Amino acid sequence: MFKNYLKVALRSLNKNRIYAFINILGLALGLAVSILVFLFIKDETSYEKHWDGYERIYRTGIKADMMGQKMDAPVSCSPMANALRTEFTDVESATRIQTGRQEILMRHDQTKVYIQHIAQADSSFFNVFNYEFIHGDPKTALKESNSIVLSEETKQKLFGDQSAMGEVVNYDNRRDLIVTGIIKEPKGHAHFSFDLFISDNDVKNVWINNGWNTYLKLKKGADFNSFEQQMKTNFMKKIEPDVERFLKVSVDEFFKQGNAFEYQLMPIKDIHLYSHKDFEIQQNGNIMYIYVFLGIAFLVLIIAGINFMNLSTARSGKRAKEVGVRKVSGASRKMLIFQFLVESVIQSFIALCLAYILVIVLLPGFNNVLETNISLLNEYFSQTLLFSIIITMFYGLFAGSYPAFFLSSFKPISVLKGDFTKSKNGAFLRKALVVTQFTASTILIIGMIIIFKQIDFLHNKDIGFKGDQVIIVPIQTDQMADNFRDYKSIFLKNSHVQSVSRASFFPGDLPNQSMYALEGSQEQLPLWNMNVDYDFFKTMSIKLAEGRFFNREQDSDSIPTFIVNETAVNNLNIKNPLEKRLGTFINNNGDVQYGKIVGVVKDFHIEGFNQPIRPMVMRISNYTWFTAFKISPENASSTISFIEDEWNKLEPTHPFRYTFLDKKFGALLRQQENFGTMFLFLTILAIIISAMGLYGLASYTAEQRTKEIGIRKVLGASVSQIMNMLTKDFIKLVLIANIFAWPITFLLAKNWLSNFSYQIDMPILPYIFATVLALIIAIITVSTQAYIAANSNPVNSLKYE
Amino acid sequence: MIKLKNLTKVYRTEELESTALNQISFEINQGEFVSIMGPSGCGKSTLLNILGMLDKPESGSYEFLGKEIAQYNEKQRSEIRKKNIGFIFQNFNLIDELTVFENIELPLIYNKINSSERKKRVDEIIQKIGISHRSNHYPQQLSGGQQQRVAVARALVTNPSLILADEPTGNLDTSHGNEVMDLLCKLNESGTTIVMVTHSAHDASFSNRTINLLDGKIVSEKESKLSQAAV
Ligand SMILES: Nc1ncnc2c1ncn2[C@@H]1O[C@H](COP(=O)(O)OP(=O)(O)OP(=O)(O)O)[C@@H](O)[C@H]1O
Ligand SMILES: [Mg+2]
Repeated sequence: MFKNYLKVALRSLNKNRIYAFINILGLALGLAVSILVFLFIKDETSYEKHWDGYERIYRTGIKADMMGQKMDAPVSCSPMANALRTEFTDVESATRIQTGRQEILMRHDQTKVYIQHIAQADSSFFNVFNYEFIHGDPKTALKESNSIVLSEETKQKLFGDQSAMGEVVNYDNRRDLIVTGIIKEPKGHAHFSFDLFISDNDVKNVWINNGWNTYLKLKKGADFNSFEQQMKTNFMKKIEPDVERFLKVSVDEFFKQGNAFEYQLMPIKDIHLYSHKDFEIQQNGNIMYIYVFLGIAFLVLIIAGINFMNLSTARSGKRAKEVGVRKVSGASRKMLIFQFLVESVIQSFIALCLAYILVIVLLPGFNNVLETNISLLNEYFSQTLLFSIIITMFYGLFAGSYPAFFLSSFKPISVLKGDFTKSKNGAFLRKALVVTQFTASTILIIGMIIIFKQIDFLHNKDIGFKGDQVIIVPIQTDQMADNFRDYKSIFLKNSHVQSVSRASFFPGDLPNQSMYALEGSQEQLPLWNMNVDYDFFKTMSIKLAEGRFFNREQDSDSIPTFIVNETAVNNLNIKNPLEKRLGTFINNNGDVQYGKIVGVVKDFHIEGFNQPIRPMVMRISNYTWFTAFKISPENASSTISFIEDEWNKLEPTHPFRYTFLDKKFGALLRQQENFGTMFLFLTILAIIISAMGLYGLASYTAEQRTKEIGIRKVLGASVSQIMNMLTKDFIKLVLIANIFAWPITFLLAKNWLSNFSYQIDMPILPYIFATVLALIIAIITVSTQAYIAANSNPVNSLKYE
Repeated sequence: MIKLKNLTKVYRTEELESTALNQISFEINQGEFVSIMGPSGCGKSTLLNILGMLDKPESGSYEFLGKEIAQYNEKQRSEIRKKNIGFIFQNFNLIDELTVFENIELPLIYNKINSSERKKRVDEIIQKIGISHRSNHYPQQLSGGQQQRVAVARALVTNPSLILADEPTGNLDTSHGNEVMDLLCKLNESGTTIVMVTHSAHDASFSNRTINLLDGKIVSEKESKLSQAAV
């Protein structure tokens, strides 16, 4: 019996090749998308799970609101890890690290390599995070000062195949370090990924200076809530003396002034998807992407599933006679249902095989766009397989059940008499399904346009500075930093070098923060510091709002004067900033130095657009580690090699490196761009699937109405009248779909846009555009079918019956 | 009204060519009632389809109302057809989704007649063929004879000068068949030209003239003796 079903199923597929092709390919695309999304989500949610006891590991952080200036950062002070280790019985271990964003030159013998991801870590680091050591002992590797632990890859870069343990590695031409361990690349993803670790066990006993990251691991069975409470009370006591010393108020008064400050704990498993704070070690992922991709996969699955149901039922007329004959020959309804379900399950499994081929073909591109490194044959493969088989079974059974019940319900007499086409059963359901399908497609089209508009808006947003034709070169040595003022003229000799300047950081990097107060006011306010030189604003094309820029006659690093940005003026709430003096601490004893505000500049962005502009204060200082060269657009590459040659003469120890400022800043937008590209790709897939389904459906509708078309033509209907008649119904459905899609998309898009500090006004045009596009797609697919039907010779169609 | 000269129609399929009509020549005058007879496959329907401009001849000339239309394109043919010709088929070819009224109304819509005029004309013709109590019914709800009467009504409603009928009684029993033949005769009396394909000598006896086809050729043409008597 089963064999007979199989035979009929395969023959029927073969007989209706176009139908089968549309059905199976649509399903395969839907399945491929859901498998890709599954792999992506699996990858995104796998972060930190490879650490032993990862559920017990937490990262500390602080959350503060001082004078309305909010701060939420995963940072901590130097002594916290020690305190956690020694004063809390619940803590198994705690560690403290410090990271930098800059590349550092590492040298072994003559081999020089720039390394970017470097952590200064205390000796407990490997107790909290269990790296696998190829050489060395995790317990002692970071105990001694000047120890260094290398990743396998870094070791390979510096030492090649030679042995490295106990050898000397030079750090930035400053310190010699001894290799005490070689570690394997961890098996999973984490919110950090370091190329090397340098031991740092010095503790500075200041609780108010937060330049470190602290992680702790609780003991098994420890109660998190009671520990958290205990920790908060304990640490608030520890910070008291520092608050009094620096802010000159008691803690009670500090809170009474309306300030807030608290310590926080975040489970590390939540960091990747949920943590978007200031000073993250790397840019984290975003749970929003997971929701969006889940949504897309869901919509695509619906669209493909609807194709499947629609095409199967539409085609039922062709199968009706078979049903009639089988029933007359004794088949029960149950047997028929079973037969049709077997058919649809077979089809879905053919689609699944095709889907896996599609996944293999698409995965490299997918990885490329999302900058991930996902493979199909990973440790989760059995889960992936199970997931895809469940969805496939679901498709086969659920999407197949409607046609199965529909077909098997035909009465043999009416079918054999040829009455089946007259039954209007299913027509309404088919219409409802097409509406659902087009609603889904339209949501995707509108969503896609809004996402692109938002990304485009961010791209074209006035960032407040000009980053094109500016190259950034990091200073590596003290000698260079000390004497750079005198070296400027060397570079300016080249007429293509328009200006040269320095700053402590440039847009794309993170500044640091200190407390400031206006003279005569008790209120402390955290502002973001930037050290610059006289030509900074000119090089960056930053505009003046009020007052003046720095100049050599009036300003120097010994007579402090300040330039602030407009946001700082707003936050400090000052009426005439140019008459005000700003004070800041110059040592750890709470001594304050005051300086005049001489200028206010227009706001400029230094971070991605998911962050609001910070209140900034700039001053002249020689303590600046980045230089910027504004060069003419002509001969850019020869100008850069000129700078390189001169630079290498001045800093021969460190190979020259540079980045374009606009690229560096643009990198902050990349995650969103990648996301947009992915969305575009998936939307196009979804539209293709919908169009394929519509095409199939239209061709069946036309086929069913062949006789009617013939009659109408004999009676004088023109080709365009026939096409009109066939297309009109579908257009109605598409329009109804749009009525549903508009409000749904409006809500979704509003929600998505609220993720951005700078968002476009909700545009109306994408809605209209999507409607028009959906109509065009519907008209093209349907009318090609209608055209064929309308042009067929009526003589042929009238012969049937 | 109709003048055919050496009309030939060849059907070509992948394997073979079959000549459905071979050098056919005849004339039909205004107001005639002509029957076409012959064994199955001899080309009767093919001839009728060409007369009705649903199909194009391979070669030869076809003059309709003094115009040579053999090589007209689809659009031109359709224009002449919808103004001048009504069709009746063996299998009725009513549209299942439309009511009796709507089916009859259809050719008027395609002839761009306004709706009040349409209603008047459809009502008139429904009255005439005696199915006015059925005007809101669907074709499935009618007997075969009633369906064919609706089809006749639909063919008549535009007042065509030529009616082409392909075995109009082929699917009907004798009494229903006679009802339809009655209608056709009355129509012919009032001046409409009728060309009818039939297998039935009885039906053919109502006409003025019978053309006999065999293998795509005319084998004989004769005036019907009964024609006068039948009226
Ligand atoms: N579309 C077609 N393609 C190829 N051959 C055709 C086609 N239509 C008709 N023929 C052939 O042309 C010849 C005439 O067919 P036609 O339908 O005119 O016969 P008929 O006299 O109407 O027969 P019947 O009395 O059975 O209706 C037949 O041999 C038929 O096989
Ligand atoms: Mg015939």
